[in-house]
Amino acid sequence: MLRQRGIKVLPYIISAVMVGTVTALCLLLNGHIDPANFAVIYIMAVVLSAVWWGMRPSIFTSILGVLAFDFFFVHPLFTFAVSDLSYLYIFAGYLAVGIVVSLVASGAREQARHAQEREQRSLVLYRLSREFAASDSIVEVAAAIKKNTGELLECSTAIFTGRLNELFLTDADADFPVDEHERAVATWVLVNGSAAGALTRTLAASKGLYVPLKTVQGTIGVIGLYKWDNGVYDMEMIEVLSGQSSVALQRAILAENARLEDRAKENNRLQAVLLNSISHDLRTPLVSITGALSTLKQDFDSMDASVRSEMLETAHEESLHLNRLVGNLLDITRVESGTLKINIKPCDLRDVIGSSLRVLKDRLENRKTVVEIEDGIFEVPMDFALMMRVFVNLIDNAVKYSAPESIIKISAEISGENVLIKVVDNGFGIPAQDLERVFDKFYRAEKPRQVSGTGLGLSICRGIVEAHHGKIWAANNPSGGASICMEIPAYIKEEKHGK
Amino acid sequence: MENKTGLNVLVVDDERTIRSFLKATLKSKGYSVSEAKDGATANELAASLNPDLVILDLGLPDMDGLDVLKNIRKASNMPVIILSVRDDESDKIGALDLGADDYLTKPFDAGELLARIRSVLRRIQPGTSDTVYKTGKLTMDTARHQVTIGKEPVKLTPIEYEFLKMLVISGGRVATHKRILKDIWNRDEETDDSMHLLRVTVSNIRNKIEPDPNRPVYITTEPGIGYRLSEEE
Repeated sequence: MLRQRGIKVLPYIISAVMVGTVTALCLLLNGHIDPANFAVIYIMAVVLSAVWWGMRPSIFTSILGVLAFDFFFVHPLFTFAVSDLSYLYIFAGYLAVGIVVSLVASGAREQARHAQEREQRSLVLYRLSREFAASDSIVEVAAAIKKNTGELLECSTAIFTGRLNELFLTDADADFPVDEHERAVATWVLVNGSAAGALTRTLAASKGLYVPLKTVQGTIGVIGLYKWDNGVYDMEMIEVLSGQSSVALQRAILAENARLEDRAKENNRLQAVLLNSISHDLRTPLVSITGALSTLKQDFDSMDASVRSEMLETAHEESLHLNRLVGNLLDITRVESGTLKINIKPCDLRDVIGSSLRVLKDRLENRKTVVEIEDGIFEVPMDFALMMRVFVNLIDNAVKYSAPESIIKISAEISGENVLIKVVDNGFGIPAQDLERVFDKFYRAEKPRQVSGTGLGLSICRGIVEAHHGKIWAANNPSGGASICMEIPAYIKEEKHGK
Repeated sequence: MENKTGLNVLVVDDERTIRSFLKATLKSKGYSVSEAKDGATANELAASLNPDLVILDLGLPDMDGLDVLKNIRKASNMPVIILSVRDDESDKIGALDLGADDYLTKPFDAGELLARIRSVLRRIQPGTSDTVYKTGKLTMDTARHQVTIGKEPVKLTPIEYEFLKMLVISGGRVATHKRILKDIWNRDEETDDSMHLLRVTVSNIRNKIEPDPNRPVYITTEPGIGYRLSEEE
């Protein structure tokens, strides 16, 4: 959209050709009609050039026409000498016609051009607002500004965003010369809120032209423009672009702030849930422990031996429970903060399951458990200790959510390149709408009776299984009860690539 | 009821409640108990009292328990059991490599601790020239080179026999991968190969001696560390 300064040569050449053509025509007609009438034919050329190209070409045509007319048709022929003053009037007439017509025509032309420009600008505006509306992140908006600016101004572009007078390069064309100096100019623009750089009065030695993106709150960004050929810019288009871009960028910044705020709120909510859950779940076993111990302390001698041992048993069991809760809290923090250290080595799967069952020995005292491992499965790459936590959690859940006399089955089979492991109970099952959510932190399925727990176990399991490049899901068995299934790669993935 | 063992245990822990609970438990089993609440005192008492056993916490206020362990090991071979909340494999292996005899994570079962103490003390009591070891239904007679479950003899390969014997002689103390590979296979490094060999051996022995190999009761696994023979009464 840049307009070439300087003189366009083409209108003058065409004007000359026209005058030539008219002259040739008149030479043909010469002898048939009075040469004085040729003046009217010449004026056609003047009018045409005035209408098409404006005043200067029409004056040029007038002069050329008068000279040609004088040379060919005015006595003495083939000289520029004029014997009759009346031809001077004809010349003056040509000029006058040329000037008047070109003034009128150029006015019309100017209007048409304005209309065209207005249309184009509104097209640009429309296109910008449509593209900007489709993007609501700062990065997306910056990319859209970069793309449109580059296309409309035919230059390479860099988009900077600013916060508290600090400049961040958000997006830039590969050939935009972003260096220390250019950054300094862009920063100046950000701080001062007016354009600087090439083609301006400020810091004109820089390669790029930097335009502020201003809002009522101040400058929020800078567009850098750069042309290899040092060409000029359509300043009006820059105005339009920067205006639209500021609005879009401002909106994106606000949207992003809102998102951050939402996230902070969500974090707060989770923390509140966590605190609630922790204090409730930690306190529940503590209540039993304190209760049992304080009773023992007070009435030890007057108590039946059997009551005493029952109380002690309760306190002991609940303290183990409390320890598991604390362990889970530690685990979830490790999973969440990414500080979970995982050490995958071949492990005897049967040993991992057996060791987990051993940990739960007291809890499983009267429960029937069945372990079925398909022949051919021996070593599976996993982190022994972490997978034990998974099994302990899953088996513990199975105990919690099923009747005391029902069987818990742990099975492993080969499934393609994975080992498919299931912990199956014959309990109450999981409501269909909760099958996925049970792996969410603090989520606990609607339960048929008071079952204590933090709702952390399954999300820890998911974290650990995913760290093994595996997946975990829940399903209800057709015959009742729930299954938690895991697929873990059966082989250690080769880290090396084609040697 | 107290029958004095005449053995002195040094308890190193900065928590008063834990010290007093340990003291009560140990005294009831006939041990005499000395206490240290920080590393400096522990170093001093270990040198001056020359206790028969040290129970050592790792998180001490003035230094790391491992430094106390190093210091003790410089001068003495006295049994040391680590008692810590740190439950990372690397912490455990680190302590065992520095010469700790065993490692127990807090919170712990008092019965378990007493069992570990007995096994560790057995190491330094040269007394019994017993060649017959029993745990649960499992009996090993090293003089006759015989292993039985109940009355049934068990056929073990020479390697399996040596491995089981090593665990039996360790008497409930953990045998680290490193030590097993060194003693049984004379290998210095825990390569993938040798670890595989070890797992196969353990799995095979379990198939032969465990009532339910899916739920081993005799040979138990210490994840990432080693194996131990659990002492069933």
